[in-house]
Amino acid sequence: MITSIKQAAFRNFKKSETKRHELNYLFWECTTRCNLNCLHCGSDCKKDSTHPDMPLNDFLSALDSIPSPPKHFTVAISGGEPLLRNDLELCGREIRKRGMRWGIVSNGHLYNQERHISLLNAGMGSLTISLDGMEGSHNWLRNAKNSFEKVDYAIGLAAGSKRLNFDVVTCVNKKNIHQLPQIRAYLVSKGVKAWRLFTIIPIGRAKNIPDLILSGPEFKNLMDFIVQKREENTLDIKFSCEGYVGDYESKVRDTPFFCRAGINIGSILIDGSISACPNIDRSFTQGNIYNNNFYQTWQTKFEPFRNRSWTKKGMCADCKNYRDCQGNGFHNWHGEKNEVLVCHKSKLESAKV
Amino acid sequence: MKRNWRRGIIGGLSFSSALFIFQACYGTPQDFQPDLLVEGQVTSKTSGLPIKGVKVSVEDFMQYQFTDEKGNFSFYTEWMDSLTIQFADIDSTENDSFSDKNTLVINPGDSVNLEIILEEK
Repeated sequence: MITSIKQAAFRNFKKSETKRHELNYLFWECTTRCNLNCLHCGSDCKKDSTHPDMPLNDFLSALDSIPSPPKHFTVAISGGEPLLRNDLELCGREIRKRGMRWGIVSNGHLYNQERHISLLNAGMGSLTISLDGMEGSHNWLRNAKNSFEKVDYAIGLAAGSKRLNFDVVTCVNKKNIHQLPQIRAYLVSKGVKAWRLFTIIPIGRAKNIPDLILSGPEFKNLMDFIVQKREENTLDIKFSCEGYVGDYESKVRDTPFFCRAGINIGSILIDGSISACPNIDRSFTQGNIYNNNFYQTWQTKFEPFRNRSWTKKGMCADCKNYRDCQGNGFHNWHGEKNEVLVCHKSKLESAKV
Repeated sequence: MKRNWRRGIIGGLSFSSALFIFQACYGTPQDFQPDLLVEGQVTSKTSGLPIKGVKVSVEDFMQYQFTDEKGNFSFYTEWMDSLTIQFADIDSTENDSFSDKNTLVINPGDSVNLEIILEEK
């Protein structure tokens, strides 16, 4: 009974949030240059990107089109590797001048003490660093033999700051799923407070590497691990918002599944494209800051994000959980978009058989 | 305002305390933590001129910044009820030699502007 009330209330909440579509989280793909060549990269970043970094003023012009950003509006600076930009601190200061908050998603390689201090000075309030296993499996996925050593140092610095909202993200795959207890113990020993676990969807370079994709039973093990460790309360551990996980919904995250791409989350991509999360198929681009007013585009377009009825096809067509899932995470629709790329719920169901 | 009430009620009914806090799949956490912008200028008591290269730091914190050519400094730090800002002339011989100074800031808002005058040693 209580579960039904909660579910109904949450569906209503989603509906009202969708109607309201307040932009309060903006990705900025400030560069596609990267100092790594990770096996699972969804954006196929390169060391010598064909796109030049987006000039700060171009981004700021788009930001300035937002008439009254809500309190705690967050700009998540991503890449590529944002630390490759020497003007990152300047970018951050300009964002703060506009009353907004900012943070970066980094592989941690260039995160040293000097940069840590200059970024904090510039008002950085949040940081996410990727750690994809203990030394061997992390270096394998990151395709670099000294990556673990560097990220270990970066995690130590970041975890020591009381100011930062810092979390570590891990892409769980066949090579590291057996290390999860070990990784958790390592993070606790480093003083990390929050850990987010992902799986890898078969896009970009990842689609050609079978070792990256978890089987149904492995995915169920991941869910069980998260449930068990959330009860222990030592570390805030959660599954990312990448997909709907059926019976595990209330157990692996703080809130039920709600893909907010295009509802609260927007993005400005390297070529000026206006979209939602950067890993979403680029055919969903809604405009371009070099041709369109950013905020007007946010307010008037984004129909496929705010009305997801078009996803009710393929295996989603007859799914009894469609009202709660609505086609899974938006980034699971690529290419011809005739079928959802990954259905987490059916993956879990396959593990029961 | 009315709409916010409605959001709150619907959110409360779904018993999710963290309903309005979210994180994009591949993004950073949202930043709700209060912080403090510390800025100002350091000048010489004798000459009245700005002093470059003074190390400005918050007591017990790793963060610091050096004053620029105009003696200016500006940095964000963790918000606290009270904090001591330290000024140290660590390059002593380059721009004359100044005594260190500490300034206590109590109950700041979200920013504090400090005009600091250092005495020559």
